[in-house]
Amino acid sequence: MIRLQNIEKVYRTDTIETLALNSISLDVAKGEFLSIMGPSGCGKSTLLNIMGLLDTPSKGDIKISDQKTDHLSDKQLAQFRNQKLGFIFQSYHLINDLQVLDNVELPLLYRNTTAKERKMLATEALEKVGLSNRIKHFPTQLSGGQRQRVAIARAIVGRPEIILADEPTGNLDSAMGNEIMDILINLNRNEGTTIIMVTHDENMAHKTHRLVRLFDGSQVQ
Amino acid sequence: MFKHLFKLIWNKKKQNFLLMSEMLFSFLVLFAVFTLLVYYYDNYKKPMGFEYQNVWVISYNNAYQTKSTDSLNTYYEILRQNIKAMPEVRELSFCSFNTPFTNNMSQGRISYHKKPLDHVNFYTADESFPATMNMQILEGRWFNKTDVATKNKPIVINSDIKEQLFGKGAAVGQLISNYDEKEKMRVIGVVQSIKMKGDYAATGYGLYQKTDTGSLRWMGKIMVQVVPGASAAFEGHLYKTLANYMKNSNVEIEHLTNKRTSINYFTLVPMIVLSIVGGFLAINVALGLFGVLWYNINQRRGEIGLRRAVGASGGAVSSQLIYESMILATLSLIVGSFFAVQFPLLNVFDLSAGIYISAMLLAITFIYALVFLCSLYPGRQAAAIYPAVALHEE
Repeated sequence: MIRLQNIEKVYRTDTIETLALNSISLDVAKGEFLSIMGPSGCGKSTLLNIMGLLDTPSKGDIKISDQKTDHLSDKQLAQFRNQKLGFIFQSYHLINDLQVLDNVELPLLYRNTTAKERKMLATEALEKVGLSNRIKHFPTQLSGGQRQRVAIARAIVGRPEIILADEPTGNLDSAMGNEIMDILINLNRNEGTTIIMVTHDENMAHKTHRLVRLFDGSQVQ
Repeated sequence: MFKHLFKLIWNKKKQNFLLMSEMLFSFLVLFAVFTLLVYYYDNYKKPMGFEYQNVWVISYNNAYQTKSTDSLNTYYEILRQNIKAMPEVRELSFCSFNTPFTNNMSQGRISYHKKPLDHVNFYTADESFPATMNMQILEGRWFNKTDVATKNKPIVINSDIKEQLFGKGAAVGQLISNYDEKEKMRVIGVVQSIKMKGDYAATGYGLYQKTDTGSLRWMGKIMVQVVPGASAAFEGHLYKTLANYMKNSNVEIEHLTNKRTSINYFTLVPMIVLSIVGGFLAINVALGLFGVLWYNINQRRGEIGLRRAVGASGGAVSSQLIYESMILATLSLIVGSFFAVQFPLLNVFDLSAGIYISAMLLAITFIYALVFLCSLYPGRQAAAIYPAVALHEE
């Protein structure tokens, strides 16, 4: 599903060069639930951004769904992300000035869909995360767990093949974190969605199929 | 997408209020500036209605004091013949002090069938006035000797009065009342309206009365049409002739071309001042808009990063910011147009609706162009935001 080969990422300033990722090679199979762990600053989020085509590697190749992505234009990359990938972030990244339903509809705005279709798909996604009774609420009126569930609904509304989750339970207490984890596990099991999750939490990581550990930009497990 | 952006703007109406107020205020000032500009341009396009080149105005104060009206008339008739005899003079006319391109005026009210008409300019002139000024007589005739003893005072009106009182019907022969409706005046002719106050002023209502035997006691202007290229030497000769004839009188000769230039400058001053104020305001709005949009982008980096992550291209983000600004401008312009449209509806300042509508369209176009230009660069900056960085910052 995802194939990374010798991925390197170097951040350069005028005086310093920082090697964020060093020769990472990774295969993620279709329907796999993979977690990435490691200490802060080890390159987990950078790796996730590269897999999500939000960032480009300094060296190496990426293939997603057997398609090389290095030659894609900005517009094609945006379309690729919209069709194939869903994102979940630690800090939810909801637009506070839009109601829950409008937040969930967001990825569909960049596709050829009618307002009616968008509403139907967004309501369906919110039902899956148990928030169909909160569609008219604004994000600021929701708890942290509810916000993350809205973010999950937004990630799955376009029915992507891959979901990339960057510490989805990082801002939540353990009960809420478990709730979110259960939703992700169900998505993986029932819908066959490939999920790659960055986490600090060993317990959460052990609930996934495979664990990858990074240290100082290199893969150690 | 439009509905989505409208919702976003509507839900942020408090944050957008100041920006919208600034756009609204700018629109209203620009509407005022453009109204003035369109009004001036509209007047400028219209014909002057007379020939001012080679026409001089002689001003004098009436130094010849006599109780005998006949003597007075003889005195000025001799002066007329003396001037007319000069080879450089084509025609001349004694007239009231409200000559073209001066700020002098004599206004009053007339009425027709009890329908009053205000701000009518009253001019007094002799039989040779149209020939001196090359004015066009559209209907009927100008004054002649037969108008001396008539039951109703003969008058000539301009085409503006004719249009207002009689529309497309005939004006000649109609009786018009003076301000207190005690005296009836008979229309004997219609002349083309002339721009007495310069190129940028409206023609206005004009009513001409014939000089009578008593008029010469208070009149103090002679319009003289000279041959093209009449020299300064001739002007000196004319001055000397007049000064010698009218002893103890202050005589002054002015050229209508110079007076026209002078009154045009005078008319242009408020337009220039208002345009400068409007220009500064537009710059202020542009800078304000630019600053607010720039600030908004920095405040919304997370949102922009998110939009990029879920499928927006750089171009889509840039377009979105431009559309948002345009929607904001549209909301302000709807409110502004509501106020602006009251001017033609209530006939404020007695200007035609076409002037207000043209000014509104110009102001709307200007605001849209300003907003579009000010959104372009911040939009491009937003498109250049790196999603991975923006999402990480949040």
